[in-house]
Amino acid sequence: MNKGVVIFAHNNRTLDYGRMAILSGILAKKNLDVPVSLITDPFTVDWMKEDGIFEDASKIFDKIIISVQPDTKNIRKIHDGASGDGAHCQFLNSNRSNVWDLTPYERTLLIDSDYFILSDNLNNYWNVDCDLMISKKYNDIIGEERTGYLDKRISDTGIEMLWATTVMFTKNEYTQTFFNLVDHIRENYERYGDIYRYDYRVYRNDIAFSIANHIMNGFQESDDYSLPPVLSTIDKDMLHDYDKNKLTFLITDLKNNYAAATIQNKDVHVMNKLSIVRNYKKILKMEAQ
Amino acid sequence: MQSEFKKALDFSNYRKTFAIQRKTLKEKIQARLTYGVNGGIFKIDRQLLNFVELLISKNRKEGVVILDINDNPILIDNLEKFRDEVFDRYFTATNEYYEEYQKIKKARSVESLVEA
Repeated sequence: MNKGVVIFAHNNRTLDYGRMAILSGILAKKNLDVPVSLITDPFTVDWMKEDGIFEDASKIFDKIIISVQPDTKNIRKIHDGASGDGAHCQFLNSNRSNVWDLTPYERTLLIDSDYFILSDNLNNYWNVDCDLMISKKYNDIIGEERTGYLDKRISDTGIEMLWATTVMFTKNEYTQTFFNLVDHIRENYERYGDIYRYDYRVYRNDIAFSIANHIMNGFQESDDYSLPPVLSTIDKDMLHDYDKNKLTFLITDLKNNYAAATIQNKDVHVMNKLSIVRNYKKILKMEAQ
Repeated sequence: MQSEFKKALDFSNYRKTFAIQRKTLKEKIQARLTYGVNGGIFKIDRQLLNFVELLISKNRKEGVVILDINDNPILIDNLEKFRDEVFDRYFTATNEYYEEYQKIKKARSVESLVEA
């Protein structure tokens, strides 16, 4: 069975997902030693060419798959540190369910473009006897004090939240049904919001994946295998530096105070996307050596 | 008083960084102690090591079924090979844990903690 990593990248006016995907891809390829493919759109590719990074992308990615840029009304505020800086921008994330059709691999690890694989831990999961695995736990870098109820459940009275930051699946009839169901939930997001009692104003893949998993499991929470907890920094933290599988962060206590911290050889979700893009050249240069 | 207060704040910052470094180190080692084999996932801990060693001492070395982290039955064809692998992973991970823990324990400032 061939296997590989897939990353989506659809640029908006503020965020350069192409650059993020290149960094995420280079780290995944280095640490997991498997091919990595990119799913993107013509606009993002044009920008990558204009920006001079398409050559980097061509070297790193096994395949660059051109898809349609998803249409979205998703507007979300992204922070850049704790000071209130940041921007409102479109989130072009509504085509994630297409991964089943677009992936070139029989066994796929789908990761977000802001998920940095700095270890080979996920290699333990390729041969697990389970067609679909999603991470069940959000694990804040500081701990429970920055974790809210809505990081664990999709609503105050809702089902458990799964984190679609990392998803591993085998291409078969079962997972095809699962991803079709995710798409159906996305199309009827407001209606499912009434049933599952979540805030439907902004589409979230995590919620759609959680509901699809709940339905496919006979309307119960699943006790099947899952991927490891997603260690996360929030967008009010800042990625400050990178040095060979070691990321240095400024971590906020949400009161405008920062503490320095590092993560080395451990996979991490870096939610401050603007700070990833700021470190693009440094990370790329170091990994190219 | 002013300088004492600054000292206290510096120490507070140091403790914050120390707590995060220790937490992420523990999690890294926990991840290193995960082992996927024959379709199952095992957590390598003292219980697993002891159980495997016990089975081998009772001459149960081939075609042994062991329950994994999800309590699913996983068939291990060669238990001695499995034992060697989990022992190797356990000692590699715990030695790394020890070395890295010593580094952060000895670090006395935020700068030395992040460089450790």
